[in-house]
Amino acid sequence: MIVRRVVLCAVLIVLAVIIEVTVLAPLPFPGATPGLVLVTVAAIAFAFGPVTGSAAGFAAGILLDLAPPASGTIGVTALILTLVGFALGRVFDADDRPIVITTVLTALAAALAVLAGAALGGLLGNPRIQWSEVPVMIITAAIYAAILALPLVPLVRRLARAFVPEAFSR
Amino acid sequence: MRDTRRPRIILGILVLVCVTLIVLDLRGGGGGPLAPLRAAGEAVLGPLERAAATFVVPVRTFFDSLSTLGDKDQQIAALEAENEELRAQLDTVANDRARIADVDALLGLIEANAYTTVPAQVIAVGPAQGFAWTVTLDVGSRDGIERDMSVISGKGLVGRVISVGPGTATVLLIVDATSSVGGRLSGTSQIGIVSGTGRQDALQMQLLDPLAPVDIGDVVVTFGSEGDRPYAPGIPIGTVRELRGTEGQLTRSAILEPYVDISRLDIVGVVLRAPERPDRTPIEVTPTPSASATGGGA
Repeated sequence: MIVRRVVLCAVLIVLAVIIEVTVLAPLPFPGATPGLVLVTVAAIAFAFGPVTGSAAGFAAGILLDLAPPASGTIGVTALILTLVGFALGRVFDADDRPIVITTVLTALAAALAVLAGAALGGLLGNPRIQWSEVPVMIITAAIYAAILALPLVPLVRRLARAFVPEAFSR
Repeated sequence: MRDTRRPRIILGILVLVCVTLIVLDLRGGGGGPLAPLRAAGEAVLGPLERAAATFVVPVRTFFDSLSTLGDKDQQIAALEAENEELRAQLDTVANDRARIADVDALLGLIEANAYTTVPAQVIAVGPAQGFAWTVTLDVGSRDGIERDMSVISGKGLVGRVISVGPGTATVLLIVDATSSVGGRLSGTSQIGIVSGTGRQDALQMQLLDPLAPVDIGDVVVTFGSEGDRPYAPGIPIGTVRELRGTEGQLTRSAILEPYVDISRLDIVGVVLRAPERPDRTPIEVTPTPSASATGGGA
């Protein structure tokens, strides 16, 4: 029963990582790149709870840290997305949360993730961090995440119920 | 959720793994204990990105051409004006050209400014919130790409290869805050360090000679490194847009406008070989120095 859950999450995460770096990042979006991977992790966390959420966040973060052309410190994105997956998974219960709450929480997580990424980069001595651009990044990241979360969170929930019905039998 | 401690224990383990990875990667540097992990990531995710690019790139090109559609009239007008100007120049240059051709022939230069390159398509870009200006190309070690090769486009220097997978290569762009390139003012042969600013429209050049005469609009080319790695000589980098610091100070810096539009990178070339250096045998000619210096000056 756990296999189906892992397969579903793995497929979603790999797709999200590949689409983020080959489709979304090359497009000239103002500010941040839309965080498809973060929203996918959030959607998985909303659907399956904190354990699967933090594991999915960890896996997605490692993939983003390793997917070419990544050149930053391995583990930074993984750490942030693990925490995102855990925190948003805590909101999970058997009933559907209203979409307003999931969307707002995902946007909030995206904003905090950008801030945490910059702060962690600064702490670790990353010379690339441009603090003057961080506010714009935070705001745009939150907006893009909200837009992506609107269709993605219900979609992932539906997929979860279709492929892993036993997780929702309670 | 029978056991409420289970999520927290798993979170704790995962966070610990992340912190370990961060520490290992920071301590290890380029060839540290995580190098195999990085190589594995490149070998596994690279082909996936290449596969995705075969669908994505045509669509991206289409949307790119749509977004520039409005500018086409303007572009045509500008090009026509430029064309006339160039035609006028051509007449005066023809004479010089004949002489240069003679000198070239004399020196045995066959293709004076031809870099031997491998053409490559940009298939992936790092997310903007990472602040890293890096891109992935669809060529790798099986195409003869190696670390520290220069990457150029039709306009000028793009960056250098920082890691290579079997079918992909990652390029550090010149605007990245960790990039620095030896540059030379092509008119005066003054040298300096051109570093990225992290912004796509500006580079900073520290001139080694604080008294060097520099003017707005001066062209900066690569100085060239030993064995053409990481930078082959004579590749145009950008033009001087702004001067900072007064003459006589310990260092003087200039803000450059890069030739290459980083946000519109599509097809680039990885330099396998720089043009052959001119023969250094003394010969009895006194060529009139033309405005564009090629790779011979380094």
